[in-house]
Amino acid sequence: MSLPRTGIIAATQTQLRPAWDSAQHIDLISAVVTDVFKGTGLTLDDVDFIIDSGSDVLDGRSISNCGFLGALGAHHKEEARVEEDGLWAALYGVNKIRSGSASVGLIVAYSKPSESENIDLYWSSMVEPFYQRPVGFGQKAALGIQAQRYLDAHGIGDADLADLVAKRWAAAAQNDRVAIDAGPDAAAVLASGEAAAPLTDLMVSRPVDGAVAILLGTEDIASRLGRSPVIISGMGTSMETHAFSARTAGGLDSVANAAKMAGDRAGWAAAEADVVEISGSSVVGELLALEALGLADAGKGMDAAMSDKVNRSGGALPADPIMATGLVRLGEAYRQLTQAGSGSPSRAIVHGTGGVAMQTNCVFALEV
Amino acid sequence: MFAPPEAHPLDMETFHSQISMPYTLTPGRAAGTFLAEMPNRRIVGSRFPDGTVVAPAQDFSSTDGEEPEELVQVPETGELTAFTRVDGNVIGLIRLDGCANDFAHRILADLGDLSVGMRVAAKWDDTDETSIMAISGFVPDADAPVGEVKGLVGPAEPLGVIDYSMSLDYQHSYGPYYGRMFDEIREHGRVMGVRTSSGDDALLPPREVDDVTHKRTGTWKACADTGTIRACSIINMEFFGLTREVPYVYAEVVLDGASTRMIHVIEIDDLETAKKNIKPGTRVRAIWTDGERKGRVSDIERFEVIED
Repeated sequence: MSLPRTGIIAATQTQLRPAWDSAQHIDLISAVVTDVFKGTGLTLDDVDFIIDSGSDVLDGRSISNCGFLGALGAHHKEEARVEEDGLWAALYGVNKIRSGSASVGLIVAYSKPSESENIDLYWSSMVEPFYQRPVGFGQKAALGIQAQRYLDAHGIGDADLADLVAKRWAAAAQNDRVAIDAGPDAAAVLASGEAAAPLTDLMVSRPVDGAVAILLGTEDIASRLGRSPVIISGMGTSMETHAFSARTAGGLDSVANAAKMAGDRAGWAAAEADVVEISGSSVVGELLALEALGLADAGKGMDAAMSDKVNRSGGALPADPIMATGLVRLGEAYRQLTQAGSGSPSRAIVHGTGGVAMQTNCVFALEV
Repeated sequence: MFAPPEAHPLDMETFHSQISMPYTLTPGRAAGTFLAEMPNRRIVGSRFPDGTVVAPAQDFSSTDGEEPEELVQVPETGELTAFTRVDGNVIGLIRLDGCANDFAHRILADLGDLSVGMRVAAKWDDTDETSIMAISGFVPDADAPVGEVKGLVGPAEPLGVIDYSMSLDYQHSYGPYYGRMFDEIREHGRVMGVRTSSGDDALLPPREVDDVTHKRTGTWKACADTGTIRACSIINMEFFGLTREVPYVYAEVVLDGASTRMIHVIEIDDLETAKKNIKPGTRVRAIWTDGERKGRVSDIERFEVIED
């Protein structure tokens, strides 16, 4: 017996901004939860469950989803929160629908990193307190070491990295879902402050505020609602060891594992996708993810990254709503697969990540 | 119509909050011994049954969960395998001699002088602190002899628990609804909510979307500063985070005109009277601060029972 396939019915998001200081979490959340139904013919009454994603540490309150239930539309509904990027919330939702226990699910992720006075402490809370925190080893140091090793191993210069960052910001500046006045050029990327040598500030993903909602349903329901549905045909998730120094230097094995799981299920490999939306915590993280997805050989990620099918939205470098970034990528891929003018793509790969130096990774395969 | 607000009807500053949690962390045998040996200037590692040595010491292999067969003393010399600089501090990975993993620590040198593969040696701080920072960092030392892993002779007792604290500071946005509510409290000393999507009673705190119906809420309404207790508990035990002396009553009060409970406190003189007089259904009134109102729930100092 085959399980029912799951499709994306609708996707929406707020604009992603460095600070949504005129809005609370609940204002962002209720905005997307209201918006996502528009034009679908469905209402909140049709939703069987809600899975949301966020971080108590980022939100500044424990079990923060309890305070957001009303805005989520979760009153007296089945609700669960995933303390991982929103793409895992979608994975949870797809599995609920495929198992037959529900027909329509609402997936929500939100982020307000601007409310943390020192966002480095969010990352610091994830590292080990006896050996790592006292020496200042955290997200930035791990991303810097990852980058230093990558450049050293492949003879790549920071000017190449700056070109890619500038391309991503330019793409995001074309995307009205991201607030950017003007994207920096490569020289400005190089001239931005030092985040973690050799990475400059702009080579590390920019935290932004925002919320995103995705409506999932069985293929049957998704098909009857109008447009040709986007089917989630494969999913995979995998995790690196917490000990950064014990991970494979120069590669993200867990991205490769997750991509293989998703690809085996979908019946096609990530390299065959027409649309690739990935979450790089740094510009080198993005290259490592592309290589692990099988889009390029080790050290050759730049070639794949410059392809127009990769991160047409701009990706995570110009706009990283921490904990929501992967779900934003899912929404962006959905848009590109369903909207005219992007070359009739039929397959997409979506990647989300979490943890220090991209410890956890999740990959979705989509098709129309 | 439900786009998030672009601007406030009134400009409110953000609300500062802090989460500051005291912890007692348990390092366990391996990390506890490592830390206890820091003042003795010995670096402790773990040797696994296959002969692999890792440092700093671990109770379990981070790759396969295997337990080490013994703790060992590892050399304080090694090779630099990777490096970066964050906030002016150079941080590197060091492969200590005889070890199979990399040790993350400060590198006390200019970034430009570093290269992968260079020999480094630990520089000890003059301290008796049981912290990894008893090693100030590692310094380049081209002539550092290659050290050997040795047995850990007479290991110190592992540390039991370590006091630890972490503080996180936030600047929370009010948004237009909380913004007006707190502004009304500050400017006018009144508690305002918004009507539910279909009734006259007010939601406190106010919000754009009704929690129950997920429809837009109604117009603003001033609630009375009198109300009825709907749930309460006498707090007579001290705990971390107390903001006033025990005993007092934690009360959930529905203000007259509101539909939701507001959490506040009632001061009491003695337990027995409180048990008798304060219960669900008891009528209470807000006692506002005599001082300057700041636009906070604490501008209401407390509630007190309305005597018949």
